[in-house]
Amino acid sequence: MTGTRKTTPYRKPGFWRRLRTGNLSDGQLGALFLLPALLTLAAVMLYPMLTVLWQSLHFNRLNQPFRGTPFIGLENFRRMLWGEGLTWNLSHLLWLRLIGLALLAPLIWVVRRRWLSPLSGIVLAVALLLLSLYVLGFRPGPDGRWTDGRFWNSFSITMVILVSSVVGSFVVGLPLALLANVASRLRWLGRVALLLPWAMPRVFAGLTFAWLFQNQYGVINDVLRHLGFQGPLWLARVTPAIAAVNMTIVWKTSSFVGLILLAGLQSIDASLYEAAVVDGANAWQRFWRITLPLLRPSIAVALIFRTLTAIQTFDIPFAMTRGGPGRSLETLGVYIYNSTLALNIGYAAALSVVLFVISLTVTLVYLRWIYSE
Amino acid sequence: MTGAARRSTQRRAGYVFVRLGLLLMILDGIFPAVWLVLTSFKSENELTRIPITYLPQHPILHNYLDVFTQNPFARFLLNSAVVSIVATLICVLFASLAGYALARLRLRGRRALLTAIVMTSMFPALVMLVPLYRLFVGVEVPGLSQLMAYLHAMGWSFLPTRVMTPNLLNTYWALIIPYVALSLPITTLILTSFFQLIPEDLESAATVDGATRLGALARVVVPLSAPGMVTAGIIAFVNSWNEFLLALTFNTATNMRTVPVGITLYQGEFAFPWAVISAAVTLGIVPLVVLILAFQQRIISGLTAGGVKG
Repeated sequence: MTGTRKTTPYRKPGFWRRLRTGNLSDGQLGALFLLPALLTLAAVMLYPMLTVLWQSLHFNRLNQPFRGTPFIGLENFRRMLWGEGLTWNLSHLLWLRLIGLALLAPLIWVVRRRWLSPLSGIVLAVALLLLSLYVLGFRPGPDGRWTDGRFWNSFSITMVILVSSVVGSFVVGLPLALLANVASRLRWLGRVALLLPWAMPRVFAGLTFAWLFQNQYGVINDVLRHLGFQGPLWLARVTPAIAAVNMTIVWKTSSFVGLILLAGLQSIDASLYEAAVVDGANAWQRFWRITLPLLRPSIAVALIFRTLTAIQTFDIPFAMTRGGPGRSLETLGVYIYNSTLALNIGYAAALSVVLFVISLTVTLVYLRWIYSE
Repeated sequence: MTGAARRSTQRRAGYVFVRLGLLLMILDGIFPAVWLVLTSFKSENELTRIPITYLPQHPILHNYLDVFTQNPFARFLLNSAVVSIVATLICVLFASLAGYALARLRLRGRRALLTAIVMTSMFPALVMLVPLYRLFVGVEVPGLSQLMAYLHAMGWSFLPTRVMTPNLLNTYWALIIPYVALSLPITTLILTSFFQLIPEDLESAATVDGATRLGALARVVVPLSAPGMVTAGIIAFVNSWNEFLLALTFNTATNMRTVPVGITLYQGEFAFPWAVISAAVTLGIVPLVVLILAFQQRIISGLTAGGVKG
């Protein structure tokens, strides 16, 4: 008798069965493995980010609790960027939109027809926006001041530090990387010298250099004295203080740039150099034709990280002069810290958002540049 | 001069040039630290003498004694060690799990996810200060609190009406949690690229031989990835050991301070006792120097994977 054999159709094993047997699917394993890291990042990064964004739209002074924390829209940003003398209302917004439509629509059309490059399109759009803001009456306040002076001061000193320290750390870092890659008996010591500034806490670096730059008993002024110069009061005058802080930042960060570039150098195939030597290329040509082009990815990585950390500069100026003399070295980071200490939470949040937007812009520009290469 | 002779003088000149550069580089990197050590052996009297002395005339150890008697420096060292080591372990664990998932598993949008994780490192620690402070003081747990209040109203009066997260300020957790998050992006990046280097065949071979998927992970992948974990761990440790701002804000009790913050306690209102501070800083960088000496090639190769905050 031919009995009907019971066949169970194949069923995909369920989650618990997979877990019990230790054979999880990719999706399940991925979710399980990514969860701890993503939860931590959400709690420590995402939650503060959203809170800061929310608070930047509010008035919040912890030392004036009776005024509450009302929603004030973009008021914090207006105060920061345009100063006290200006107001704007709904009809401004309407006009801005109309003007924007009238001017931007043709601009977009022109760019899409490729009569203009996207970059010049963006520049033109920003210029048009500023022009229309001006037409609508966004001008300096009645006291003739544009702004929260402290903000623009901190913004410009941050930009000064950004440009000079990024350029400086590359000018110093590239030779350091090249030297650390040369085979020599002293190489291990050279590498220690390269790693030490990287590993040293920024606060320690700040304190150490404050001592080196000390005007009476510091080494730097003593060396200058021996050479026949009168060293300045480094940390008590504005220009020397900016120079001193920049030098400290360059010392601290050039080692980081050097390390990234060294890692890049080590990944370059040595046979390329041998071939170049056979072809009669001298050291200079080898550097320009082989080393530099192949080092490009490392340079890009170092540039991105260096720029982002330079925008956030806080520890070194804080440790060296507390943002002084006066407020001349109050970077954006120090300004945010000071606003928080002054219990002006809403404004500090708005400043943080600006800092974040600057970082984001820089990153996007760099990423575009890397992908376009 | 013949061509060969000229070339050899050129090479010798180049050699001298490189040697000189190397010496300059060593001087540049090490001199500030050496100067700190020298300063830490000088007396306050000797420091304020003109012309300044380079080598200590009468080396003393008194500054190191002062470091430990003026403030509980041993406690600072202990705090730093506990916080950094625990944060490093958690961070490496989380990052290797995430790195494995991102490198190996067929997941939708994993490149985008990795980019997003790395992008969080451009969010400055400074900005997290106030929100995290509030979080660590203790906030009401959103859903649970309402539920409790409802049950309370229903007559379960023994229940609390508000459920708060614990106050973490002045505990180790207030620093460990943010430090894990601060180092996660870079360690995840390093470990992801490290896992990509391990041949996939090894793992599938183990599965063919009868190991379960998790078993293959534990027996094959983990031992092979140990060097990558060490690299990531060193970087996470250095980051945690060096952090200043969050430690300054969250742990204000003297016996919960970490080393970088503790050192600022030696500054008086007007006086700046450089000798004692130098001694304290010297002690603070000893662990870092030991790490560097032990692991220099490992750190450098780890940095190949990407960038590290400098």
